[in-house]
Amino acid sequence: MSMGIPEIEDADCLLCFGYNGADSHPIVARRIVRGKQKGMKIICVDPRVTETARISDIHMQLKGGSNLALVNAMAHVIWEEGLTDDAFIKEHTKGFDEFLKVIEKYTPEYAETISHVPAETIRKAARMYATGKPAMILYGMGVCQFSQAVDVVKGLANLALMTGNFGGPSMGIGPVRGQNNVQGACDMGALPNSYPGYQSVTDPQIQEKFEKAWGVPLSSEVGCPITHVPHRILHEKDEKKKIHAYYIFGEDPAQSDPDLAEVREALDKCDFVIMQDIYMNKTGLHADVILPASAWGENEGIYSSADRGFQRVRQAVKPAGNVKPDWQIIAEISTAMGYPMEYKNTEEIWNELIDLCPSFQGATYEKIEKFGGIQWPCRDKSMEDRGTPYLHKDGIFATKDHKALFYGTDWHPPVEMENDEYPMSLSTVREVGHYSVRTMTGNCRMLRNLEDEPGWVQMNPDDCKRLNLKKGELVKILSRRGYCITRCLPTERVKPGATYMTYQWWVGACNELTDSYLDPISNTPEYKYCACRVEKIEDQEWAERHVQELYADIKTRMGIDKGKGDRS
Amino acid sequence: MKKELGSFVIGDSTRCTGCKACEVACFAVHQKNQTNQKNQTAGSRSGRTVGTITAPVAPRLFLTRFEQGCMPVQCKHCEDAPCLNVCTKNALIRIDHQIVVDPEKCIGCKDCMQACHFGAVALLPEASDSKTPVLKTVAVKCDLCQGRAEGPACVQVCPHQALRLVNPEAEQEDKRVKAANALFLTRGKGGQDS
Amino acid sequence: MNYFVKGNPDLCIGCRTCMIGCVVAHEGKHIFEVDPDSYTFAPRLHMVKTARLSVPVQCKQCENPACMAACAAGAIYQEDHRVLIREEKCIGCKACMDACPFGAIDLKIVTGMTQADGSEKKTANKCDVCHNIPGGPACVRVCPTQALRLVTEEELNDDAQKKRMEAARKASLALSAQNQDENRKV
Repeated sequence: MSMGIPEIEDADCLLCFGYNGADSHPIVARRIVRGKQKGMKIICVDPRVTETARISDIHMQLKGGSNLALVNAMAHVIWEEGLTDDAFIKEHTKGFDEFLKVIEKYTPEYAETISHVPAETIRKAARMYATGKPAMILYGMGVCQFSQAVDVVKGLANLALMTGNFGGPSMGIGPVRGQNNVQGACDMGALPNSYPGYQSVTDPQIQEKFEKAWGVPLSSEVGCPITHVPHRILHEKDEKKKIHAYYIFGEDPAQSDPDLAEVREALDKCDFVIMQDIYMNKTGLHADVILPASAWGENEGIYSSADRGFQRVRQAVKPAGNVKPDWQIIAEISTAMGYPMEYKNTEEIWNELIDLCPSFQGATYEKIEKFGGIQWPCRDKSMEDRGTPYLHKDGIFATKDHKALFYGTDWHPPVEMENDEYPMSLSTVREVGHYSVRTMTGNCRMLRNLEDEPGWVQMNPDDCKRLNLKKGELVKILSRRGYCITRCLPTERVKPGATYMTYQWWVGACNELTDSYLDPISNTPEYKYCACRVEKIEDQEWAERHVQELYADIKTRMGIDKGKGDRS
Repeated sequence: MKKELGSFVIGDSTRCTGCKACEVACFAVHQKNQTNQKNQTAGSRSGRTVGTITAPVAPRLFLTRFEQGCMPVQCKHCEDAPCLNVCTKNALIRIDHQIVVDPEKCIGCKDCMQACHFGAVALLPEASDSKTPVLKTVAVKCDLCQGRAEGPACVQVCPHQALRLVNPEAEQEDKRVKAANALFLTRGKGGQDS
Repeated sequence: MNYFVKGNPDLCIGCRTCMIGCVVAHEGKHIFEVDPDSYTFAPRLHMVKTARLSVPVQCKQCENPACMAACAAGAIYQEDHRVLIREEKCIGCKACMDACPFGAIDLKIVTGMTQADGSEKKTANKCDVCHNIPGGPACVRVCPTQALRLVTEEELNDDAQKKRMEAARKASLALSAQNQDENRKV
């Protein structure tokens, strides 16, 4: 995020694009609510009526998969109506004229035909965003989980650039990340193309620096993204590139990745699978070795929040049995494999890391403790450098010439569109309470009391009427790749023809249906759009029994008991 | 969603005129059921037309006059049912969330009558018509006209819509939506309750 | 006057933390340690989501409670600024549920107790404004967006008084504006 999370509530205008804070991050949503109370104007772009849409000044309820058409049309209006910040564009950016050529054809009327948002609403929204100062953009998985994802992120950045909304507090663009500490995972170099601190693996100087520090030769090639793994196990012809061993931790690809049938096949065909997690999960059912890990609260160390803030986490309880923290497990495996790693504590690891990463160098444990957190970049170890709450101060960007680049692209539709056999669209979403793949929250009894298997499919009441479905009825939902059973939830918050399911349920697993088509740059799958069909189940008693049997079977295979009080 | 609570019929004293159509309909339905089960005797057509009722009219709901007017009173199919809990012979049973009497088991001990908070249980001779000798006196109570496709006869025949079949769960959602709307209208300005 | 807890749909994000807070407050923290099947998850407030609203709904603690009037078992009473249920008297007749216009009462399973036919014992269940629970209503305390608050008699009266004063001020302003207008005409 270019801004800090606490700054959200002080923006004059918030453009909330494909981001459902209330369900994904209630604590961030709190800032949005507070901003509204302080008079912040809100534009919400979402195909559903989310909690943010409810309190927004303008809700653009677009048709799924039309993001870029709408973003380009907003840029078109801002240009056409002379609402640009010309001085900022001139001084701090490049490529604006080329960009104008791309957006020329995106009149609001043209965008209306694609997005189903009235042209006049697009105009109003563009005006509201361009005249608000500071104006902030928050976006979420409704932008990133499409085959055209990175283009839309750039499109949103274009909006901020052309209105001069970079370089100050409460402005810029903010990807509100999908997972706990996913920012931290990226910061630490858990990406195929970078070392910690976003230092490129293909840069020879960087490579040399890390080789020297770690005393081993390192590869100069970009690694394999997680979404390519099934292919590299199942279909790779080149024996050197074929994957034979897969070490998975804190991740449940057999639940969270698209096209689960393919993922299961890959895990089963892979020669050796290691799973490291705090509870048993779907991936564990295919693993050769399971390493029990300790959870937050049993660990200590540093997490990064979505706004680049390093925060100290402390141990609240001792892990039961011989369970170890992740860093110790990694160190022991590394040692066993012939590269001895000996660290006394996390601070020692942290100090090694920050000395190798210029943008993290000043974020010492001492400062993080003292100030409650440090947002990178923080380059100096002196107590005066307290990090960077917002990026690109005074319009200075992290490019060679310090100028930002406009980047215009044309909209293209999602890969798999509705058709005669599968006449509806499916998008995967979140629900508050159950976090991510339910590894944590599915084991929390209170949250399980609120919602349990097989979950719900949200549908417009008109569609439900047409299919003769009632609230709570079990239904079968199918796509080209598979099917699952879930409960029908009629709600006026979604438009006809679209369905929405949360992806954490073991029985109602919507990723049986999703498509593994990826964005070419980010390699993120198109979770937010595929074609599906909903079918009524006539024998509801059978279906209820069937769901219970499936659930019981999974729990038995995972060796799950009811928890305390049940074991005796 | 799965039904967890039993339905019941409730009367409305502001509409009831005391015409007893409900009582007659109730009697007719249950009389018919009884005769259908047994041999087709001469009395099997009783209650179908005026003047053919020979047995005493013994309904399972009770038109009750009180200080402010009148209304029919009948069983609520309680979820912690005193009648069922008190019965030593387990003659009161729950079928599909409704509480019904098993006449085979009932010995006529009257405990259920005394336990019921509503006076909804009565003791009646079980007989098809007055020509047959009284076989047995058992507890009877509203069974919501079990098996009757049109639902409870009393609700159906009331000329003043003074009876209503309550499905307590189904009505919760509508009521709560209304309550939510009220909260919206009374929320005050700027999010602060004023 | 009775006190009540009131949800604000402008602030609510529909997260249902209030419902969990309610259960934990009434059941006690031991529910995290016992067999998950040995307690009843019966929140006394309910999240309502319509096309444009999200807000928890709960008992208004009416001054003339319809539920209390309907109860044949004498299980509902008023005390300590609230409407309460005497669970041991309740027979589960659902008359209160039908009488309540807000859908604020439902029936909960009483764990560990059965009826004569072996089925679960059920009793009426509603918000008691966290009677005898230290710290006051749990829903108010746990809400991440402060979307719930306890409304007391003093507050309600103060608020009405403020509105009356505002109405009087506006009326007098209107009158003086009229007078000026007439003076001008003259």
